[in-house]
Amino acid sequence: MSDHEFGGNDDLSLPKATVQKIVSEILPSSAGIAFSKEARDVLIECCVEFITLVSSEANDISEKDSKKTIACDHITKALDRLGFGEYVPAVMEAAAEHKEVQKGREKKANKFEQSGMTLEELERLQQEQFAAAAARHT
Amino acid sequence: KTKFPTARIKRIMQADEEVGKVAQQTPIAVGKALELFMVQLVSRSAEVAREKNSKRVSAQMLKQVVESDEQWDFLRDIVARV
Repeated sequence: MSDHEFGGNDDLSLPKATVQKIVSEILPSSAGIAFSKEARDVLIECCVEFITLVSSEANDISEKDSKKTIACDHITKALDRLGFGEYVPAVMEAAAEHKEVQKGREKKANKFEQSGMTLEELERLQQEQFAAAAARHT
Repeated sequence: KTKFPTARIKRIMQADEEVGKVAQQTPIAVGKALELFMVQLVSRSAEVAREKNSKRVSAQMLKQVVESDEQWDFLRDIVARV
């Protein structure tokens, strides 16, 4: 059992401003309802506890699975076990979307490898481009 | 739309000594689940405020919501302090 202080240590807590923003995105501005500071701080504690709960359960599941790394599958199984199964579809969608974004990023990083040029050739190309740019500016 | 910082989520997860490595996608998944959790908790608390004709959601109201649903038993210790 972890021993959280009210207000929490920054490192193991969530940024107040972010939480505040999310709260206002959830509550319709038309209602004009806002969280008191104390309520917001309690909410943050609840969020951290939720993360801890899910992590712990997912960790147990990953160990039984003989895996050393907690993966998304373990998270979704944990959510199911803890009675939050309704979250699973959206969670899986978010993870899948992120995977696509990651793939796109890796593609860009591999541009160098895929250019077909050696490092020397690329450097020469760069020098030529610098020279051309310098020429344009004199 | 605002999202939780994944690095922070990962740090909180690994604060538990039992937790070892965490795959890159995992904090994203946890962040999404957390978002949904917050939507439920925040909405229900706001409902209580509305029922009481208040424009402010107090910590007491959060406590009431937590105590009204078995699913949130894990939060009882936290709200007990309120």
